[in-house]
Amino acid sequence: MPTRPDTLQGSLPLLVLTVLSRRGPLHGYAITSHIHGLSDALRVEEGSLYPSLHRMEEAGWIKARTIMTEHNRRARAYKITAAGRRQLGIEEARWRSVTDAVDYVLKHA
Amino acid sequence: MSWLSRLANVFRPSGVDRAVDDEMNFHIECRIAELVAGGMTRDRAEATTRRQFGNRLRLREESRDVKLLPWLDSLVRDARLGVRMLRKNGLVTAAAIVSLSLALGACMAAFSLVDALILRPLPVREPGRLIYLTFPSANPDRPEDDVFSDPAFVRLRDAGRGRIDLFAIGYPSKPRVTFDEASGNRETIRAQYVSGDAFEHLGVAPAFGRLLTMQDDQRNPAHPVAVLSHRFWMQRFGGDHGILGRWVVVHGPKEDRQFQIIGVTEPRFNGVEPGYSTDVWLPYALQDPYAFGNSGYRTLRVFGRANEGVALEQAGGVLQAAFTKFRREDAADNFGPNTPPDRVEHFINAPLYLRSAATGPSAVRARFQRSLWILTGIAALMLLIAGSNGANLFLARIAARGDEMSLRLSLGAGRGRLIQQMLIESAIVAVAACLIGATFAMFAAPAVVSMLRSADDPVLLDLRVDWRFVAFISAMTLLSSALLGLAPAWRASSVEPVTAVKAAGGRTSVRARAMHPFVVMQVAFSLVVLFIGGLLVHSFAKLTSVNPGFAASDVLLVSWEGVQRMEWNQQRAALLQVLDHLREVPGVAAVSAAEDTVLSRVRYNVAVPGTARDTIEATMAAVAPGFFETMRIPLLAGRTFVRNDLDIERPTVVVVNDSFAKRYFGGESAVGRQFVGRIAGSPSHEVIGVVADARYDLRLPPAPTIYVLVPIRSLGTLHVRVAGDATAIASRLREEVQAATPLFRVTSVTPLIAMVDRTLVRERLLALLSGFFALVGLVLTTVGLYGVLSYAVVQRTREIGIRVALGARASAAVRSVLTDTAITTLIGAACGIAGGLWASRFVETMLYEVAAFDVSSLALPLGTLLLAASVAAAVPAWRAASVDPVIALRNE
Repeated sequence: MPTRPDTLQGSLPLLVLTVLSRRGPLHGYAITSHIHGLSDALRVEEGSLYPSLHRMEEAGWIKARTIMTEHNRRARAYKITAAGRRQLGIEEARWRSVTDAVDYVLKHA
Repeated sequence: MSWLSRLANVFRPSGVDRAVDDEMNFHIECRIAELVAGGMTRDRAEATTRRQFGNRLRLREESRDVKLLPWLDSLVRDARLGVRMLRKNGLVTAAAIVSLSLALGACMAAFSLVDALILRPLPVREPGRLIYLTFPSANPDRPEDDVFSDPAFVRLRDAGRGRIDLFAIGYPSKPRVTFDEASGNRETIRAQYVSGDAFEHLGVAPAFGRLLTMQDDQRNPAHPVAVLSHRFWMQRFGGDHGILGRWVVVHGPKEDRQFQIIGVTEPRFNGVEPGYSTDVWLPYALQDPYAFGNSGYRTLRVFGRANEGVALEQAGGVLQAAFTKFRREDAADNFGPNTPPDRVEHFINAPLYLRSAATGPSAVRARFQRSLWILTGIAALMLLIAGSNGANLFLARIAARGDEMSLRLSLGAGRGRLIQQMLIESAIVAVAACLIGATFAMFAAPAVVSMLRSADDPVLLDLRVDWRFVAFISAMTLLSSALLGLAPAWRASSVEPVTAVKAAGGRTSVRARAMHPFVVMQVAFSLVVLFIGGLLVHSFAKLTSVNPGFAASDVLLVSWEGVQRMEWNQQRAALLQVLDHLREVPGVAAVSAAEDTVLSRVRYNVAVPGTARDTIEATMAAVAPGFFETMRIPLLAGRTFVRNDLDIERPTVVVVNDSFAKRYFGGESAVGRQFVGRIAGSPSHEVIGVVADARYDLRLPPAPTIYVLVPIRSLGTLHVRVAGDATAIASRLREEVQAATPLFRVTSVTPLIAMVDRTLVRERLLALLSGFFALVGLVLTTVGLYGVLSYAVVQRTREIGIRVALGARASAAVRSVLTDTAITTLIGAACGIAGGLWASRFVETMLYEVAAFDVSSLALPLGTLLLAASVAAAVPAWRAASVDPVIALRNE
């Protein structure tokens, strides 16, 4: 059974921030490619990345800049900001606490 | 949030959408390229990508909401806070709104008048291509004349054929007509004789029925027809479609003519002359037959439209040649053999101008244009005064809100947000003021028009609310909110977060100095308005005290008409009967008649014999026996007209006024002398008396005047001097005339004094409105100065307290507060004087015996302003002087 995109909604910012913090500025397509390259399970409805990116941009976690690609096309590349790194810490901690809690239930229930 | 979301759809900046689209397109193209590179066909790759990507439209909406909603949300929040803050300072806000709405209302009223009278294009096809013809005139009031005679028009039309279509629209006339023959009731309408092709060339359509055609425009038509204007049809016939086919009788001076109504014009078209609405159009060929071929009888305007592909210059060249040729032939009839040749040449070589008729030629405009622009200028100055007043109030409020702003900054609000807050508050005030102002303008503009109106000159302006008006209002709202909000916003942007922490008072963020530019502006502009208003009021006061040379009070002007056609001696008998009868009526002191009124003259040039060049620009008036006695114009020599003078059909005796006698006969006695010139059908005249000068225009010095006997054919107006209650006698006059003769009936009774007032309508309007605005400006400036000074005192209370505690005199404290403001006021006053003197050039031609560059003209407004400034300064100064050091310091 394929992964429903909505199960990933909550973790999308975490994934994006993580990718951006490790790989430097990337455009939307590159972000998707990276996530897909690492795990097939995380194949999301690709378009839903964008509202999420814009939401994060509005919140000040990431910053967009227009760049030229190697094929001489204009694209918007996103870069993580200091606030974004702080947020990444928060999101990561929250993720860990949730998965730990779920693990605990799975083991001891 | 859902209503915000919907609002976002309204705003929907296309830039945001496009950016999101670009980004998604890039993604999709990359994915397709990758799949194709992996060996998939392009079609399948596209389908797969689309499926994987999801609903693009929904995603785009989502992204846009992400970008817009926070902003909209902040706007709503700021607006809420703004309204709360404005209500907290209710008095300040109300003052700003009231003064601003008054100024804005004045601007809008001025705009709607200017638009209706000057700017708005005629409601015809391609108004920009419509022209009308003019030529230079000798009358300095109207440098260009646009009245042509029938032969001139015919020659020009024939010459222009193939290049430019010329058509005639007669000067408006006011015939008496009968619509309902059964009742025989007569009424006055505004009629125009027009070429049969006029409507076609104008591009005007009928609302129903049909308009005139060339078939209707024939000298002896089987079927004479008339067209009604939409406005007249609605007013007079209540929009009754049954009007088609009905007959109207036009009572001419020589004969009555019947016309059948064939149509009504479309609603937007009521004539080609802004300020004047035509009731009925009649075919050109059916006007007074005397007009045809008579170059001395000028009755019409010539309009035209150049044919497709013909340059206006080319058409103009052809018309000029025809005009010059016509004038050369016409010169022989116009000038006597003794006329100096250069005058004849000047007449022949007069240029013919093709003027744009895009907005329509207008006598009302020619008369009131300058006054309207002056009032518009004053309204604009009022807006600047009220705007700077409001800006100062806002600045003072920011100072009071330094704490709030610093706190918001310290808590991480962006400066942009503070600026937005200020701009929103000013916008709220501006929008409120604009709405009130627009309401005010909707009453004020028609009120001004009604001031221009009189019974015989119904100035009709189409003051509608259309997109032009709405655009103007919007621009005004933007401008005034910028005026109010920019300075405070700029101030808000420089609030320091630390000051809130450092100084608990936190009100050092705005110094009174920031308000000084606005004080200078206010003082300067209000001095300009005071100065200009003072000039206009003073000039009007002088005009009203001019002695016209006749006693205008207690005189009633009675218009009357014959009920049937009569022989001249029959008419004369009836006239004398009426005069004799009225003289015996109790309450009537004296009675006479004039062809028009005591205020009307016909221009007439007379050459002085024995001198080749000296011509007198004389005026002429036709009066009945007893006229000078009734009007109390003193007789200086000889005698005035008596009854027996009326016994011949073309009398040759004339009375002249003092100016004429002095110019024409020099120092010698004029009585008994002959005087040469064609007047009233007779070539030479005998002067029987000399009377004192009387004016027909209060603004002009008395003109040399020739009084001739009233031609019996045009009975004109009765002048009745009453003793006692004028209104009671006015109502009786109708019956008394009826009792004297059944051959005449009274059509209207007007007090002469109202007519005299009417001649100054322009000056009165200017004086009234500019005087009013000068006062308002003065009050605003006083309030503004008071506000700034009070603020300066409050701000420096602590400093003053310390100084006084250290032994400084109270007067020193006062001085330190006042010096700054005094200097600012004086700078403003200097700018105001310079500006006022510069602006006075625009009103110079409207002034009567008042000079702008005159000590008294300047001293009065300056003194008033400085006095007002001192009054404004008194209370704050007293407060500064009475600062108690203990209280001041303890408050800190």
